[in-house]
Amino acid sequence: MNPQIENLYSEGTPGAEQVAKFIRDNRFPLVEPGHVTFVFQGQADEVNLRRWISGLSTAQSMQTLAGTDLWALRMELPDKSRFEYKFEIVRNGHRELVVDKLNAVLAHDPFGANSVCQGYGYTRPSWTLPEPETRRGTLTGFQMHSKAFDSRRDIQVFLPARFRRSRSYPLLIVHDGSDYLHYADFKTVLDNLIHRLEIPAMIVALTQSPDRLTEYTGDARHASFIVDELLNQMAARFPLLDNSSARGLMGASLGGVASLHAASNYPNRFGQLLLQSGSFAFSDLGQHQKGPVFDPVVRFVNEYRRNPFALAEKIYLSCGIYESLIYENRSLVPLLQAQGMQVYFEEARDAHNWENWRDRLRTGLSWLFPGPLWMVYE
Amino acid sequence: MQILLGPQSPVANLRQALETINSAGPVVVITAGWRDSEGEIDELRDSAGCDVKDLMLYQRAEQVFAHEPVLRELQRERQDKLTELQRLYRIRLAPTIAAASKLMRTRAEAELLRLEQRAAIGQLRALDAHHLRRIRGIHQNFNRRRAGLDIPRATAQREQVHELVEKAGLVLIAGGHVAVLLNRIRLFGLDGLLAQKPVIAWSAGAMALSERIVLFHHLAPQGKRDAELLDTGLGIVRQRVLLPHASTRLDWHNLHRMALFSRRFSPAVCCTLDNGSMIQLDNEQVIASNGSFIVSRTGHKKVLTGV
Repeated sequence: MNPQIENLYSEGTPGAEQVAKFIRDNRFPLVEPGHVTFVFQGQADEVNLRRWISGLSTAQSMQTLAGTDLWALRMELPDKSRFEYKFEIVRNGHRELVVDKLNAVLAHDPFGANSVCQGYGYTRPSWTLPEPETRRGTLTGFQMHSKAFDSRRDIQVFLPARFRRSRSYPLLIVHDGSDYLHYADFKTVLDNLIHRLEIPAMIVALTQSPDRLTEYTGDARHASFIVDELLNQMAARFPLLDNSSARGLMGASLGGVASLHAASNYPNRFGQLLLQSGSFAFSDLGQHQKGPVFDPVVRFVNEYRRNPFALAEKIYLSCGIYESLIYENRSLVPLLQAQGMQVYFEEARDAHNWENWRDRLRTGLSWLFPGPLWMVYE
Repeated sequence: MQILLGPQSPVANLRQALETINSAGPVVVITAGWRDSEGEIDELRDSAGCDVKDLMLYQRAEQVFAHEPVLRELQRERQDKLTELQRLYRIRLAPTIAAASKLMRTRAEAELLRLEQRAAIGQLRALDAHHLRRIRGIHQNFNRRRAGLDIPRATAQREQVHELVEKAGLVLIAGGHVAVLLNRIRLFGLDGLLAQKPVIAWSAGAMALSERIVLFHHLAPQGKRDAELLDTGLGIVRQRVLLPHASTRLDWHNLHRMALFSRRFSPAVCCTLDNGSMIQLDNEQVIASNGSFIVSRTGHKKVLTGV
């Protein structure tokens, strides 16, 4: 039993005041080395913890704490782990997913908010939070017509603090760019890492697809849009370093697939790839079980696995060990390395979510684009 | 005479150095390594305890580039070439240093291993020497082409800066971005003048005075990285590799790595410059030293002593 709950029952069944004090005096979920205990307060017929950890069932039932309106579930959790969850409340046969009202830590994504469980020892990296002394870059943007898609595209552009047209900058193109800004604090991260000299001042093009389930799944039009159109637009509009080492492409989940696919259609146009929890589904034998959206992804990844080749200088891959994609990502690493590319693979005790991707950005970006910290001796 | 110092934070020892050198005449400072913060020298004036005039080389260079596009383009071309050359050098450096590192760690019959280690370090030195030759070639080409340019604004600025330095009794060179600092000193042709003046330089400023600029950070945020040569220095301080922030940037716990570091740059001596360090040089000899160490052949720290 969790020590705080044990303490609550140390003098018998607690009364309403003791329960209120227990709620007031603790932070939830209750974290201790190697374990976490979730607590829900309220009337219900059934309460389940819902979380998406590969290898575990998605729902675990919580138990009532005798004589109270509290429900609890204690589970093993390696230190420094992080995952997102919700409570499933069942009342009169009706099921409802709610965030944990006792936990103020929320993670947001395009589908809403989840509660965040931070295992013992996890702290949010300081470089993901605004730092007062950091000089801020600016966000600007432009619209362009894509011939490949025959539609208008909005591009957001990050310009670093002290941007000057007389200088040349590396370029990073980001899939799901708006989501990175909103859910992974990407601008704050860029500002901080540039200010700390851990990455160079760089220009970042942030793209957002109106139909990522089609465009990010191995679509040749998308690769053409990125390389033939967006890259040329960026070069025409901004002072960019003109070599592949200074060009990067990144994305998470299907954005990782889109990045790898564009790089494979145009080998070595991008020297640097940053691929987070890439949905690199493949099938060695028989049909895959991931649904029709993944058909083109599987075709692309299978083909690359059959005929691999070097498509960039350096590739940073990251994946959470609590996501099912860990298998696909681990499988890809030796294949990429065997092509002579430098590969940095990072696993985290985390899942398929924006905060996982946020927390890995420092290692990934500073490995692909080492900053002038190297040059500065104050 | 030159006095080399470590970082001036958290505790500055600039005033102590000024008292040691005791020169007459105005004091000028180069803070181009601070780039956009150049000229913000109130704190520096407090540390020095005397009036100091900033030569403003960074801002002067920006003005020159704004008015002399032909020089700006030439400069940009040189920088692009140097950047590309550095990338190519790294491609060769990575496996060369990996092989030498492995040989430093491996076990084998002593005599057999000693000769292999020596050969591996020789290859590393040869690569470094080749890189410096290529860099010198790029600089010479730049200088030749620059000499043929009609760039009156640049010439006027250069004359102003020279006049200030000639009248100065002492030149201070602050740390910062070592490549920018070196570039601006060269742009205004100060190499020769600085050699004739008493100089107090710290961190990147000290590195700029040496013969070779060695970039290092064994504990960088992106993981293991080995030292690389960036450029030739001004060559005013000879036979020394100067290592600011050595206590935090070098992997002192790894003796093999430190031994390789030391032997790679030998016969030059690797001297640390941490906060509080001071090395006093006269006619290329260390005449006094405080708080500075050398990296020995075996990778250990040894106190640097004066003659």
